[in-house]
Amino acid sequence: MLKTGIDKELESMLKRVEKPARYTGGEVNMVRKDLDDVSLRIGFAFPDTYEIGMSYMGMQILYNILNGNDRIYCERVFAPAADMEKMMRERGRKLYTLETFTVLDELDILGFTLQYEMSFTNILNMLDLGGIPVRKQERMKGKYPLIIAGGPCAFNPEPLADFIDVFLVGDGEETLEKLCLAFADAKAANRDREAFLEKIGEIEGVYIPEFYEVAYGADHNISHMSALNEKAPKTVPRAIVKDIEGAEFPVNNIVPFIDTVHDRSVVETFRGCTRGCRFCQAGMIYRPVRERTPKTIERLAMEQLGNTGHEELSLLSLSTSDYSQFEPMATGLMRLCRKQNVALSLPSLRLDSFSFRVLDEIQGYRKSGLTFAPEAGTQRLRDVINKNITEEDIFSAARQAVELGWEHIKLYFMIGLPTETLEDLDGIADIAKKIVDINYDVRGRKGGRFRVTVSVSNFVPKPHTPFQWEAQNRPEEFIEKHNYLASKLRIKGVSFNYHETATSNLEAVFARGDRRCGRLLEEAWRLGCRFDGWTEHFKPEVWKQAFENCAAELGFGSGEDIEEFFNYRHRKEGEILPWDIIDPFVDRKYFIAEREKAMKGETTHDCRQGCTGCGVSRYTDCFVNCRG
Amino acid sequence: MKYVIRFKKTGVICFTSHLDIMKVFKRSFKRAGIKLAFSQGFNPHPKMGFAQPLSLGYKGYDEYMEFETAAEDCDTNGEEMLESLRALMPEGLTLVSIHEAPELRKTLASMTVAAEYEIRIPLCLPLHEDAKELWKKYMGQETITALKKQKKKKDPVIVDIKPKIRKLSFNPRNDCLVIDAVLDAGSESNLSPELLIDTAIRTLGIECDRAEISVSRLKLQFRQPI
Repeated sequence: MLKTGIDKELESMLKRVEKPARYTGGEVNMVRKDLDDVSLRIGFAFPDTYEIGMSYMGMQILYNILNGNDRIYCERVFAPAADMEKMMRERGRKLYTLETFTVLDELDILGFTLQYEMSFTNILNMLDLGGIPVRKQERMKGKYPLIIAGGPCAFNPEPLADFIDVFLVGDGEETLEKLCLAFADAKAANRDREAFLEKIGEIEGVYIPEFYEVAYGADHNISHMSALNEKAPKTVPRAIVKDIEGAEFPVNNIVPFIDTVHDRSVVETFRGCTRGCRFCQAGMIYRPVRERTPKTIERLAMEQLGNTGHEELSLLSLSTSDYSQFEPMATGLMRLCRKQNVALSLPSLRLDSFSFRVLDEIQGYRKSGLTFAPEAGTQRLRDVINKNITEEDIFSAARQAVELGWEHIKLYFMIGLPTETLEDLDGIADIAKKIVDINYDVRGRKGGRFRVTVSVSNFVPKPHTPFQWEAQNRPEEFIEKHNYLASKLRIKGVSFNYHETATSNLEAVFARGDRRCGRLLEEAWRLGCRFDGWTEHFKPEVWKQAFENCAAELGFGSGEDIEEFFNYRHRKEGEILPWDIIDPFVDRKYFIAEREKAMKGETTHDCRQGCTGCGVSRYTDCFVNCRG
Repeated sequence: MKYVIRFKKTGVICFTSHLDIMKVFKRSFKRAGIKLAFSQGFNPHPKMGFAQPLSLGYKGYDEYMEFETAAEDCDTNGEEMLESLRALMPEGLTLVSIHEAPELRKTLASMTVAAEYEIRIPLCLPLHEDAKELWKKYMGQETITALKKQKKKKDPVIVDIKPKIRKLSFNPRNDCLVIDAVLDAGSESNLSPELLIDTAIRTLGIECDRAEISVSRLKLQFRQPI
């Protein structure tokens, strides 16, 4: 029997939990379908709380596409907070979808979006709460939904290989619907698992872990990864939407009742980035740049605002002002938003004179903070990471900002970058100090209420980047650097905050982990780890215990040896990397060349100024719909 | 032009808070293309408001919302607006009626004086007393003291809620006790049903988890007809 409403028990649970509207659905624009009319039911699962998941545009994009198909019903699932989980477990209630209160094990497909590694324990927890065994092997013994996953972390799917049946790598707009329809057909034809998997293996971007076997050498490295099924490709090419102008984009977004992280209309202006920052995975795996035309952007924005009643519009891309017709597009949107009393928000602007004019206009006299991301403290290190921004850029922008009345400047840096020395840390303090001085210079000796915030995150080497072979800093190195910076940044008007070390180190293990890391994940989850990305829920000592418990089984001497192997050693260029199975369309040769240039402190120009030979142009056109 | 909408809040939407419902209405006006008048000042906000906030989890059968349309929009039609708003409302928010209220000088909030509630308390064991005896036991007390949480201060204060109870009856059934109550409501004097529930189950010796009790607001009473 399908439960399609709130029963007495659930009602009394909802009266007890914090923010019950997280669990009730029924929001404006939620899709309702007659269950008898659909042939495939998929749950789109975001492994974090409702407030975070509902702010994620990718879910709205795919929800819209899937529900646009009459045969498919896509519903949403989020991770319940601790209070709700406790009650669900006490009463033996299963996790359900918000649309129809269907428990997860009654769905055909359950798909997780993999946005960040620290949400992985929540995936296991949601499966378990949904009445679904976490391990694929266990699931094969009964009838359970097909568990799929996609998103940026699917570019190294291996740590989740034991729990996920099928990964979708790359752009999901076309592939997810294809997969759903293939499942519906297989269900109708009563096809068995193997035959079905072989069939969907033909869809681009589909990676099926059980079609491969991994063997390890005495040095713990992967000795080989071999295909067990003759139809399994040697590497899985990522799926790519060649022209996003024509790709579906939602205009009937679900509007949450409760406050979420971002509760606003959003239009994606382009996908991909041309800057080539060497630490940045998004800059590599979303190549090439593909734009929507200004006309389409405007239309989508207006329709979305009309259907949601949102008071704010934001643009989505990796670098807002790199849009080829940014000035006319931004000017046009500003005019439309002003007419409708809608606030326009333009994240990650490059701070040139046009941007200042725009910001000055849209923020008026209530100016929020202004953000710069120099990422590194010296020109030398910025050249290493290929962040092509000069000190002159930063200071002249800061001066303009102060002159135009901004009172808060936020600076983002990373520490633990390859080749970093104390001098680079000194550079961070110097930049902060000089900006404070610029303010004194402009506003006089008292300087008003001006503040500079320095935020430092810890470098996590990511797969499919030129830095994928690098060692990460050890916790003690990070801590030492944080302390050093804290003492250097004891400057009047400057505040300093940094990211928790243990989280960054753990994130790095799973970012570059292999199949063996699945054991660690499962153990940590069984020991009670959830919501590891939340400072208040993260339990570093439990994770340590989990590593220790698994060491012998995985052939390591201790939990620390595991971390040492995955994190703190330089990997050799000849090693088989766990994510080699995925082809991002950027050549390994390019990563190696970029790495060599990095070590020599040489920059690579923005590829808008001429092709830098990453390899992606062999598979698809670069600069689709870009002008100039 | 000023308008008053009467609506009901039932079902799942009861788990959405007062402020969030306000947001739903604000956005619905926008979606319906209804232009609201804005307050003056540095932080202009649309002129709309509810007669009384409804606590999270309560059902409301006689709720009121007032709004004022922008001066430049002079040819508004209440019934048409109601129709277009109805189509946009999430399940559980039922718009009952609309009327023009040009004479409304004060806000609905300041005109509210009392509210009628129905409180259902499930019983594990049937009560020994009948309706009259229950009433005597509760209302017969010289004062009915409750602990009231303060908005800003940490410690709750002790208040006597008896003067704020306008009408009360206990109706014991087999498996539940139904309390019908008319309580002060509004800016002058206000009594939350929560305090009535706390004191009633304590005085009558009922064992019950708060989450099992359901509360409905059946009617709002105003100083004068609105």
